[in-house]
Amino acid sequence: MSGEDCDGMDRGDNDGPKSDKMFTLKKWNAVAMWSWDVECDTCAICRVQVMDACLRCQGESKKDSYGKQDCVVVWGECNHSFHFCCMSLWVKQNNRCPLCQQEWSIQRMGK
Amino acid sequence: MLKEKGQITFEDKWPSMRPIVLKLLKQETVTQTEWQDLFGAVHSVCLWDERGPYKLRDSLQQDITMYIKQAQVRVLAQREDQALLKAYIAEWGKFFTQCNYLPTPFRQLENSINSISKVTSSNTSSSQKKNNNNNIEDSLVRKLMLDSWNQSIFVDIKERLQDSAMKLVQAERNGESFDSQLVIGVRESYVNLCSNTIDKLQIYRENFEAAYMQATEEFYKLKASEHLLANGVQSYMKYADQRLKEEEARAHRYLEPGSGSVAALTQCCERVLIGEHLPTLLAESATLIKAGETEKLQLMFRLLDRVPEGVVPILRDLEAHIVSAGLADMVASADIITTDSEKYVERLLDLFRKFSMLVKDAFLDDPRFLTARDKAYKCVVNDTTVFKLELPSSTLARGSKGTAPESKCPELLANYCDMLLRKTPLSKRLTSEQIEIRLRDVLLVLKYIENKDVFMRYHKVHLTRRLILDSSADSEKEEDMVEWLREVGMPADYVNKLARMFQDVKVSEDLNTQFRADTTRHDAINIKILNAGAWARGSERVTVSLPLELEDYIPEVEEFYKKKHSGRKLQWYHHMSNGTITFANSVGRFDLDVTTFQMAVLFAWNQRPMEKISYENLRLATELPDPELRRTLWSLVAFPKLKRQLLCYDPLIQNPKDFVQNTIFWVNQEFALIKNGKPQRRGKINLIGRLQLSTERSQIEDNHSIVQLRILRTQEAIIKILKMRKRITNTALQSELVEILKNMFLPSKKMIKEQLEWLIEHKYMRRDDEDINTFIYMA
Repeated sequence: MSGEDCDGMDRGDNDGPKSDKMFTLKKWNAVAMWSWDVECDTCAICRVQVMDACLRCQGESKKDSYGKQDCVVVWGECNHSFHFCCMSLWVKQNNRCPLCQQEWSIQRMGK
Repeated sequence: MLKEKGQITFEDKWPSMRPIVLKLLKQETVTQTEWQDLFGAVHSVCLWDERGPYKLRDSLQQDITMYIKQAQVRVLAQREDQALLKAYIAEWGKFFTQCNYLPTPFRQLENSINSISKVTSSNTSSSQKKNNNNNIEDSLVRKLMLDSWNQSIFVDIKERLQDSAMKLVQAERNGESFDSQLVIGVRESYVNLCSNTIDKLQIYRENFEAAYMQATEEFYKLKASEHLLANGVQSYMKYADQRLKEEEARAHRYLEPGSGSVAALTQCCERVLIGEHLPTLLAESATLIKAGETEKLQLMFRLLDRVPEGVVPILRDLEAHIVSAGLADMVASADIITTDSEKYVERLLDLFRKFSMLVKDAFLDDPRFLTARDKAYKCVVNDTTVFKLELPSSTLARGSKGTAPESKCPELLANYCDMLLRKTPLSKRLTSEQIEIRLRDVLLVLKYIENKDVFMRYHKVHLTRRLILDSSADSEKEEDMVEWLREVGMPADYVNKLARMFQDVKVSEDLNTQFRADTTRHDAINIKILNAGAWARGSERVTVSLPLELEDYIPEVEEFYKKKHSGRKLQWYHHMSNGTITFANSVGRFDLDVTTFQMAVLFAWNQRPMEKISYENLRLATELPDPELRRTLWSLVAFPKLKRQLLCYDPLIQNPKDFVQNTIFWVNQEFALIKNGKPQRRGKINLIGRLQLSTERSQIEDNHSIVQLRILRTQEAIIKILKMRKRITNTALQSELVEILKNMFLPSKKMIKEQLEWLIEHKYMRRDDEDINTFIYMA
């Protein structure tokens, strides 16, 4: 990041049109948080928040450096969402949404 | 010939046998023929005279008794103790030697008597008979001899013997020397005298040992008190220590080895020398501890540890000393340590080292003393006299009605930790190794903290700041620290969360690289897009109307992100974001590191550089909530490190709360950084200060949530225990609960009680009908 400082310094000094303003932006470190775009933030199958890995993943891969990324969220046509891991196990026994009993079909997957 | 032999009677034979027997008793020379004749005679008598064996035995006994009487006269003729002992030992020695010879010719006699008794009581097994034949120690005649000695001489003179022997021992205690063989000889006679095959030491124990113990006890009862009175405790301890060693050595000399006597004697001495003076000795312990007299304490420890429960009061004294000295130290330096976490932690560590040194030097790191140190140090660490953290009383239905104040130690400890891990003057001054040592010290103190959850909370907040502002001094050390926290037993879910933050920052860095490669014109922007679950659960966002310069970037970032991921939503955390701006005025150009809020305020002047803008108009322009706007403005008009502030305002106030609607602000055109008293034309300054991660309201909520989380954890743990045990008594439950929760916080009795009531009320569990102190799990 120190490299950018130098770049900015040069540009700031030479950049004629911008220097007429009293304050000029040199660098912005913007912070945002992402979360799954879900209506209910708890997975109804494992009762863990969808932002956390599901109960199974927490138990199994205790420290898989990107373990978190693997436990994604899945949305059904009914718009209900669950951990993908949880749902894959669920449909083996019952191909219906645990919340609304509609036949389960995947609308989209979190990535 | 046969008839002649058949007539052989005891009376015929005894007159020829008796002189030989007498000679043997007196240890006079016996010719080989005489010796052999004796065998023959005994054999004949036993074989031919029906009553021979008994007659023979009785006569033998008479002669032995007679001999013993004579010996007794010889012994008692001695008036003086040493001579008496000498004479006795000599007589005994002679007699005892003969005990091994005289029985031999009488084997036949023994066999006869035994076989007669075998006829009468056929129970006697042949093996036992055989035994009788072979083992001289079991010999009948020998027993006869010893018993006779015992009855005829010993009973009469044992008192005198013992007295004399004990007098000698006493004389030795007083520093006189004598022939120790005399006492040893007496002891040996006591040991050998016993014909009781089950307890061979019976006579020795009942007489000699008892007398020895009694004499020792009496001697020291008197001497110890005298010495203590005359010379005081410290000299007495040396005396007692030396005496105990002496007596042990003496006991090894004079008491029968392998009989347990030495241990009994030692115990007796310990009782008289230490046990009986315990209160007097202990009265010194507190003073010695206070004065740090490690050598004397070591002696005291060594002495008192010999008697049961002896060191318990010293443990109490040590504990009391650590607590009072520790707290006194804290109170004395309260001014410094309440404001300076570095000084505070170093102070705590100094104390810890001091106390540990004391335990090591004085009590040789005895586990009981280490425990006492730990217990007391815990009190110092968690004490609330100097400063306290006020946890709010919760108003929520589940909550407790109020909590006791807690030590602020965990907060300061976390601050210190932050100073070591962040780029600070402190961390720059130290080498990597020194930082590691200090972090280990932090963990050491952490071990003693009761409310570890508070430390974790602050530690996480500091880590968040460091990661967001890229202000870690050493990222490797950061991750080491996470593992160390795991090692010292911090709850796994907490440590995992910290680890997730590191992973997440790396993911975000990759994303930022991709983003910057993707776009050409945005080299002024870095993005951090983080997992809300790991970073910001429950934290409040603050809205702000961004300056156009910033606003422009937002859609592009969002679009980029949408291409990379799906099913995700983004929320901007502008209170965490920050940046660098260049400020140009008549003096020069300056680079300012600022928060996004500060940026939003300052950029309001870009359209109207020379204007004065009212508070109200700034609020409209930035749309910042009131508390945040006040705080932001205050950081621009009264930044502690600046001699010339960035903004000027009117009317002047002392506190950001006093800004009013029409307070006016304008940019200080004279602004400059001052170095060595001279204004500079160029320069860079960081105005971010401490990045505000939460709003004022959420800070109060933060403390609430500590309490709230504790309540949940307590309930969770109670249920966990009940699920496993099904039923459990109140006391057992409490101790298991503390065990489970101790790495987070120490649950108060009150809170436990409240949560038990709550769980009972909600039918998670119930009390036993018969015993209200027993709980039963209800599924």
